[in-house]
Formats: sequence, C-alpha cells, structure tokens
Amino acid sequence: MNSVKQEILVRVQIVFLLIMAFSVAIVARILYIQLIDGEKWYNLAKEFGLQYRIKKATRGNIYAADGTLLATSIPLYKLSFDPTIAEDSVFNAGIKPLAQKLAQKFPDKTAEYFEKRITDARKAGKRYITLTNKLITYRDKKEISQFPIFKEGQLKGGVMFEKVEERTYPFKELAARTIGYINENDQGTVGIELSYNKDLAGVNGEALYQKITGGDWKPITNTSQIKPEEGFDVYTTLDINIQEIAHNALKKGLLANEADYGCAIVLEVETGYVRAMANLGRLKDGNYSEIYNYAIGDQGSTDPGSTFKLPSMVALFEDSTRLKLTDSIETGGGSYRYYDRTLNDPVAGGFGKITIQKAFEVSSSIGISKLITAHFGKKPQKFIDYLDKFGFTKPIGFQIQGEAVPYIKKPTDPTWSGITLPWTSIGYESRVTPLQIAMFYNGIANNGKMMQPLIVTSVRKADQILQQYSPMARVEKLCSDSTLHKVKQMLIGVVERGTARSIRTDKYKIAGKTGTSQKIRNGKYIKSYRTSFVGFFPADRPKYTCIVVIDNPKNFNQSGGDVSAPVFREIADALFTMDIDIRELTPNAQKLAQFQANMPADEVGHIDDLKQIALSLGIPNYAESGLEWASPYSQQYMVKWQKKEFKPNLVPSVKGMSLRDAIYLLENKGFKVSFKGRGKVKAQSIMPGTTMPPRGTTIILYLSDRATKKPNQKLALPKDTILKVPEKNVELEEEEQNETNLPTADTISNPERKEEKKVEPRKTENKPNRTAIIR
Amino acid sequence: MPTNNHRSIFADIDFIACALYLCCVSIGYFTIYAAIYDPQSTKSFFDLSLNSTKQLVWIITSFILIIIVFALDYRFFDVFAYLLYVTVLFLLVIVLIFGRKVSESTSWIEIGNFRMQPSEFAKLATSLALAKFMSTSGIKIEQRSSLFIILAIISIPALLILLQNDTGSALVFSSFVLVLYREGLSPWVLIIGVVAVVLFLATLIVGQLNLIIFLSSVCFLVIILFYRKLRQIILICFLLALACSFIVSVDYTVNHILKKHQRDRIRVLIEPDFDPLKTGWNVTQSKIAIGSGGFWGKGYLAGTQTKLDYVPEQSTDFIFCTIGEEFGWIGSFVVISLLVGLLVRIVIIAERQRDNFGRIYGYCVASVLFFHFTINIGMTIGLLPVIGIPLPFISYGGSSLWAFTLLLFILLKMDSQRKLVLARK
Repeated sequence: MNSVKQEILVRVQIVFLLIMAFSVAIVARILYIQLIDGEKWYNLAKEFGLQYRIKKATRGNIYAADGTLLATSIPLYKLSFDPTIAEDSVFNAGIKPLAQKLAQKFPDKTAEYFEKRITDARKAGKRYITLTNKLITYRDKKEISQFPIFKEGQLKGGVMFEKVEERTYPFKELAARTIGYINENDQGTVGIELSYNKDLAGVNGEALYQKITGGDWKPITNTSQIKPEEGFDVYTTLDINIQEIAHNALKKGLLANEADYGCAIVLEVETGYVRAMANLGRLKDGNYSEIYNYAIGDQGSTDPGSTFKLPSMVALFEDSTRLKLTDSIETGGGSYRYYDRTLNDPVAGGFGKITIQKAFEVSSSIGISKLITAHFGKKPQKFIDYLDKFGFTKPIGFQIQGEAVPYIKKPTDPTWSGITLPWTSIGYESRVTPLQIAMFYNGIANNGKMMQPLIVTSVRKADQILQQYSPMARVEKLCSDSTLHKVKQMLIGVVERGTARSIRTDKYKIAGKTGTSQKIRNGKYIKSYRTSFVGFFPADRPKYTCIVVIDNPKNFNQSGGDVSAPVFREIADALFTMDIDIRELTPNAQKLAQFQANMPADEVGHIDDLKQIALSLGIPNYAESGLEWASPYSQQYMVKWQKKEFKPNLVPSVKGMSLRDAIYLLENKGFKVSFKGRGKVKAQSIMPGTTMPPRGTTIILYLSDRATKKPNQKLALPKDTILKVPEKNVELEEEEQNETNLPTADTISNPERKEEKKVEPRKTENKPNRTAIIR
Repeated sequence: MPTNNHRSIFADIDFIACALYLCCVSIGYFTIYAAIYDPQSTKSFFDLSLNSTKQLVWIITSFILIIIVFALDYRFFDVFAYLLYVTVLFLLVIVLIFGRKVSESTSWIEIGNFRMQPSEFAKLATSLALAKFMSTSGIKIEQRSSLFIILAIISIPALLILLQNDTGSALVFSSFVLVLYREGLSPWVLIIGVVAVVLFLATLIVGQLNLIIFLSSVCFLVIILFYRKLRQIILICFLLALACSFIVSVDYTVNHILKKHQRDRIRVLIEPDFDPLKTGWNVTQSKIAIGSGGFWGKGYLAGTQTKLDYVPEQSTDFIFCTIGEEFGWIGSFVVISLLVGLLVRIVIIAERQRDNFGRIYGYCVASVLFFHFTINIGMTIGLLPVIGIPLPFISYGGSSLWAFTLLLFILLKMDSQRKLVLARK
C-alpha cells in the first residue's frame, strides 16, 4: 500500500516537474527574446527588409474659378508580379494566355518574351519581377487584373499594383509659375503648389513593405495600415481663358520686341481677384517660358517708372485739393536740373508750359516732379505717408509666397537726398512689384476702394469649405471723389491723346498709364528700358485692371506706349469681346455647355480662325502651341483643339474643311482644284492617304450643299441650332473686322500664314475661313 | 449535517483559484482592447462592435454560467457525464454537416447571430466522460480492454475535430496522456513519446539519412564496447530497426501526408528564416512584437507592432504578443506566473479530492489547460509550431471562454463539496 502511495507521489511530482519545466522554458525563452535577442528582433524588420514606409497621400487639386482643373494628381500603377505564388495548376493553365494578353497590352514585347521571363523567374524562385517599365492607368489596371493568373489576386495570383501619383497640369505652360510645381518629394517648390503645400499635400500614411533586390520596395498587403489623409483642393480665381489671352498676347509682344522678360496681370476690379497672371522669361533659344514669377518676385521688382506718376498725382490732389487739371506747369526746354542731376523729358526741345492734364498725358517727368517737389518739398514724410497708405511700402501679403520686399526711401534714411523726392515721384530710386502697381490702379478703378489682390478663394475637402478668402478692401477710400475724377480724366487722356494713343479704340474707353524706366547699371543709366502699361477698362464702368510689363525690348520700339500698351490692348479687346458675348449670346451656362457638347467635331480649320470664332462666341478654348490645322473636341468646360497632321508625301484629307482652306492646302501641295456644290468639303476625288500624284493633277472636291447637309454624326441638336451659331457670328466678326486693324505680331510670328495669302484666290481678305462659314 | 442545506452555494469555494481566474479574464479583456485599439477610432470604449466589448459580454455571461454550475447538485456532472459526452459527439457530427467554414476549418455552428464552436466543449465533455469511466470500480488502466475504451473515449471526439480540419484542437486531446500517466499508465509510454518527439525533430533538422547513419554507428559502438551477448545485440538491432522505420515514416509523413501549410509550419520552427513573409509571417511578427517590448514593455496601448492588423489572429491565438510588447518581460512573467499558479492550484485541488471521479477530472482540467498554455505561448515565441489554439481565459472568443470557465468551475464546485463526499464515504 505504501509503495503504491509512494509511486503516485512520484508521478505527481513528475507532473509538477513537467509543468514547471515547460513554464521555466517559456519564461527563459521570452527573457532571451526580449533581453538578449531584443536588439536583434528590434532590427529584424530591417534585416528581413521589412519596413514601414510612407504611403503617399493623394495631393489635392488646384482649380480655376470655373472649376477647370489646373493641377491634379493622376493615379498610375506600377505593374509587378510574384511568379512563385500561383499554384501549379493555376500557373500552368494560365501562363500561355497570360503571356499573350500581356503582349497584346504591351506590344513592344512578344508573348514568348513574357512567357519565358515569367517561367524563368518562377523556376529561379524570384519573388518580384516587373513586367513593364511603363506606368499603367487605372483603366489598364482594371483590365490587367482580370488576366489569367492575375485574376486570383495578390495573395493567390501574385500580381501587384503599386500606386504612383503623377502630377499633371492640363494647361501645361499656362500660368505654370503661378500655379507652381512640385519637386520629386512631392513638395511644392513655387507658386500655389508651394504656398498651399500644407493643404494640398495631405498627410501621408504608412504601409508595410519588403525590400527586394534593386532597391525596390514591394508592398506586403494591398491595404495600407495607416491610411493616408488626402490633400485638400485649392480653388483659385484664375480664369483659364483670360490666362490664355494674357499669355498669348504677352508672348507675342515679347517675341516681337525680343525682350528679356515680361508679365501680365489681370485683376477683376470689383473683387481684386487675379484672373490671369502670366510670366514669361526668355530662354537661350529665343523662346519664352514661365520661368519666374516676375509679377511678384524680386526680379520683377524694379523702378516702376512713369506708372508711378499716378500715385504721386493722387497724393498731390489729395493734399492740395484746390489744384485743377487745367492749372499749368512750366516744363521748360526738356531738361531740368535738381542739384547735380539732370532730368530729361522724352521730347527734344521739351513741352514748354503745359497744363497738369497734359503733363500727365505726355508723361512729362519734369512737370510731375516739379509739382511734387513744389508741394511736398518741405514735408517729404507726408508724401511717403501717402505711398504707405497706397500699399507701396510693404509687401501686400499676397497668397503666393516669394513676394519681393518693396523699397521706398524715407526722409529719415541716410540715403535720402535732395533728388530722392522728385525721383521717387516719377518712379525711380524705388522698387515695387507689378502686382502692387496693378493693385493701386485697381483701387482707382474701383472708385477708391482698394481691394486686396486674391488668387485663392477657398480650400476645400471635397465639397466642404475649410477656408474661405472673400474679397477684402485693404483701403476703403484711397482718395476723395474729386481726386478720383481728376485722375481718371488724366488716365483716359493718356490713351486718348497721350503716350498710349496708339491703342485708342472707339469700342470702349481705356484708362491707363505708360511707363518707360531707364535701367541703371553700375550706377549709370544705360540705354535699356523696362516698359509697362497699366490701366483699366471700360473706363466708365471698369471691369478689369491689367498691367503689362515688358523688360528690355531690343527692337525699334522702346517705350511703354509702343511695347507694352499693344499687349494690353490685345488683352483688353479679347476680354471686352468675351464679356459682351457671354452676356448676350449665352444667357445661361447651360446653353453654353449644350453648345460645347455639340461641337462639330469633324470640321477642320486653321487654328487661328478656330480660335477667333471661339473667342467671338465666348467659348473657352485652349490650344497647344505648334498647331496649324485642327478640329475641335469638347472638354468638360472648354474646347480643346486637336491637331490635324498632314504627311508631306501623302494626299491630305480635306474633309470637313471650308473650301477656302481646302484650296489653300491642296494648291500648296501642287494640285489643281475644282469643286462641285456648296458648303464644306464632303468628299474628294483622290483618296486621302494615297501617295502624292505628280504636280498639276486635278482634284475634285464635292461640297455638301447647305440645304442637304446632313447633321454631324455627333450632333444631337436640330440642324438650325448649329447653323445659327455661325450666323450670329457674322455681325460680330464683321463689326470686329472693321476695328481690329491693329498691326500685330501675327505677320512676324507666322510667316507661313503670309505665304497662304499668296495662294489665296481672294487676296483682299485675311481671314479666309470666315467667308466659308458665312456662306 | 443539517446546516449544510442552508449554506451559501459558494461556500468552501477555492478562493485562490477564483482570484487567479478573475485576474486572467481581466487581463484578457484589457489586452484585447489594446490589440484592437485604434487611436483614430471614434468608437466609444463600450461600442458593441468592438471585440473587447464582446469579450466583456462573454465574461459576464461566464459569471452566470458559474452561478448555474454552483446552483446544480455536485452529483449532476457525475450522473450526466456520458449524456453530455454523447451530446457533444452529436454536435461534432452536426457541425461537420452544417458547420460554417472559418479560415479553412469547419468548426462553427451558427444559429442566427449566435455562433459556437462545439470542439471547445468537447474537451469538457471528454474530461467528464473519461473521469466517469476511469473512476468506475473495476476499471483498471493496466487492463487492455479498459485501456482500449479509454483511448476510444479520447480519440472519437479528437478524430471528429480532425475531420473539421481543426488540427490544433484535435491535438489538445493528446494531453490526456498526462492523466493516464497519473492514473497508472506505464511510464514507458511517456518515454517512448519523448523519444518519438526527439527523433521526429532530429529527422527534420538533420535529415533522415544522416540520422540513420548516426544512430547505426552509435549502436555499433555500443555493441562493441558494452554488449557481447547475442540477445542484447538482437534487442539493440531491433530497437534500431524500429527507430529507423519511425524516421522513414516521419520523413514520408512530413513530405507526403501533411498538407503544405502544416509542413511549412514545422519547417519554420527549424529554419526561422524560411519564408519569413508567408508561413513564418505570424511568428516573425509576433517575435518582433515581443522582442521589441524589452524588459518593461512599451506601455499600455503604446505598442506599435500589434496595433496594425497584420497578424490575423491578433486578439485570439496571438494575444500573447500584445502582452509581450506592451508589458514587456515583466508583464509576460506575471501572466505566465498567473497561469502556472492556476495550473499548480488545479493539481493541488485534484490531489485533495476524496473520490476518483473528482481527482481524475481535476487532472483532465490541468492537462487541457497545460497543453493550451504551453502550445499557445510556445508558438508565439517560436518555440513550437503554429497550432491555432487559444490562450485560456485571455484570448478573445466566447466558446473558448465559456468552455474553460465551465471546465474550471465544475472542478471548483466538486472541490467545494468534497467534505460531503467524505461524509458519504
């Protein structure tokens, strides 16, 4: 009995021992893992190449005022594959069709290539191969994920799609510097991308990745562990049509004058919204590109020149209310000495004794500086106080970073001298940005209420507004109404009779001021100028203020009136036409959208003509540079022009063209052209795409009779709707044709068009397409 | 003793075991909350969609079960042991037919929103049936017929569970060997078992050919040095042949009979760097989590590795790595001490039972808990292969918590009435 008890006791002890032994083993093992091996496990993630890596948040969009996308991030995918994952049955059944499908999708490689590459990698146990270096779109991703083997998913099939965002700017060059760019780390470097980087960037998440050969990282799972927070959207005041107008006009002006750089800003008078901000600098090859924001940056902040005479005169009239425009001032024989320095008026022999109004109109530096010195000579601080009120002494706090600090001397400054006051009054010895000048002129246009220039209206998270910037007055009243009246008279006079009379038009009144400042190099004035024109229109009920600055024009024209003012006029004309048309032709946006949706897509025309028509009709449109022949296709908010290319040794297709354009094109190619019917080209006797017959071959064009013309295939509207548009166009264009005989850079910049005139049967017209449409 | 009828039903309950139990379930609740804790979540602490809150519901219902167990007559379990066993077997068959598949295993019965896992309760029923059978007078473990029935009682539910593809739960039944040993099973069974495990692992580590050559040369040397008699030589040769055939069969089983994921799980144990991202993934991550906890841990809710749902069984099978990460070695030690304390207490309770039924049942409870505890923690720290079984009282899951609670408190109920048993005798 005792021995049985003994044995049981032993057995119980063994059971206890077993429990304790295992427990001790476990505790020891944990101790080992945590304390002795802790470091190793801590670093093991890295050893295995496992790492939590940043999962990038989608960057927010930047929108124009009408909701057009200015900057967006397009998700693209990197296609990679772990060929070892799929089960044998799945793999063997799927590999051939997969290789074929891949070869169809990526035609640069053959099916055999894909099959071999995948099979080899599977044999070698490679767990990560890339199948194409191209990034694929979301649509491709959806399609490819249904391929054999791939359709098993990442865990069973082994296919991986890594998201890569690509920042795109649909309008490319337009406002590029204003919108800004991002660097390779997805941080904004300039413009709105920089200034609103925090909002746009979002918050990155984290996901687990495994390091693989070649320094690449393979995501472990498809879902991120810490989800990224998407970036917010930024809505701007930019109007892409106005931006394009300003951009093209400025570019033309710069090319014509071979200038160094230029900028153009369009402000909406009532709100201070920046509708356009174009900046172009000269590249080494003579082209111009958005390389620096001259409108606000240091490089564009120089002596403002004569445009600064307006703030001086406002200060003068405010401080000396009894002064009248008809009061006279002696400007002498064209040169005047202040201490050791001589001031010259631009006309040899001088202006003599002239009224204040005239002194401003002809931009007499002697006249203005004498008036200012006479009044403020004893109290220069008072004058500077006015400039302070007008917003010239400090940066305006614009929403885009990188604003230059303005420089206006104070009487207390050690550099203040006897000539500082007269020189400052005519825009020398100081530095302000074009945007500051525009802001002040805009204040005058807005009856003295000076608005803060705004370029961003809101920051939104989807539809939810997170931050709103409403129009805001910096100064409720810059000056009295009588002063306003006086200076407006002077500004209108500048265009009517003065330095900018070359841009005068009967259609509407422009009020503005030219500026031509001589540049200083090494302390000496050199024969190099910075020309500008700033003004607003229509002068009686101003809608827009615009400043155009063109630096260092190198051709014959060197003054603001001849270099910058025509650019201003071109912008103003376009805006004026657009504004009227939007009001009269399309009372509501729906109608406009309807028209756009029914764009006659199979018609082909010369890009200049097409743009002219679109502009006249107030249809937002955009064309890349380098287009000649194009057909329209509608975008969400606008029309884009699609390039129509003609190969030199093949018969071109002229279908959809007006007869005029077709004849021009075909005769240039050496055809003799005859035609039947009326209207647009419906068919041609020699098939397009065939090799060119010998010169002098006759080609017959069959035109669609207007009455029998069948509606365009894409048109859903009744016939008369389409036809109405060109008809409305008639009066407008003819009206415009009478007035727009301005000399433009067109002839210089587009020599091919000049050639066109030679072949044209009717040489009197310079817009061949128009008649065709009317007919 | 007439006063007995008026005593509280909880009188004479083993206080230490109860306290250890309460500690474990509370730690379980807070750890589950930590494992699923999402700092960005706006859900309230008691949101019912959170696993931790569901666990709280399971804990409270467990308390109700405890009250029911204590309200019943202590003879209930003795009397109904076979009935319960048959019922569970029936449920196990039902689950094979109507069960719901969750991650490869068909082990759930679904009635409306309520899901339960009969395999968890099979351990309880088998324990009761085993205790009942073995305590029947006239049954001796040395008898072959008795041993056969005993093995049948254990293996029928185990096989049914194996058919559900729930290998882990089926393996739990092997822990009853400990009970049999306590009740007089030959120690050779244990010794052979240990040798088998050693050979099994050795086969995997050094390969069958190497191992056979090694064993043969050892035998050869032993024969030359110590034994000269023919009988001894034959015996040794016989043992060698047995071992070799075992080794070959192990190799064959591993490479041909085991499923790939099972084979890989064993392989990971031997080669920790094998396939760290798939099969070794859980263990690697679990070790990283525990290892990065250090001595003091990162602090409650401050763990980073376990917050991210890469380990699929974060709040069930791998709950221990949350403890390891957030409470460090100290926390792990405390939890292991609690569990070991509970085990030791159960063995002590079992030993002090006056009737065979209570004692054998107590050993069953201890064996099952011991197996769960070592296998679960062993797998999270890479000591044992990954066998998906929960950590008793701590892991998330209603069925397992209920089953373990019943398992423990039926024993405590018997224990509280042991004086009556004595009186009966």
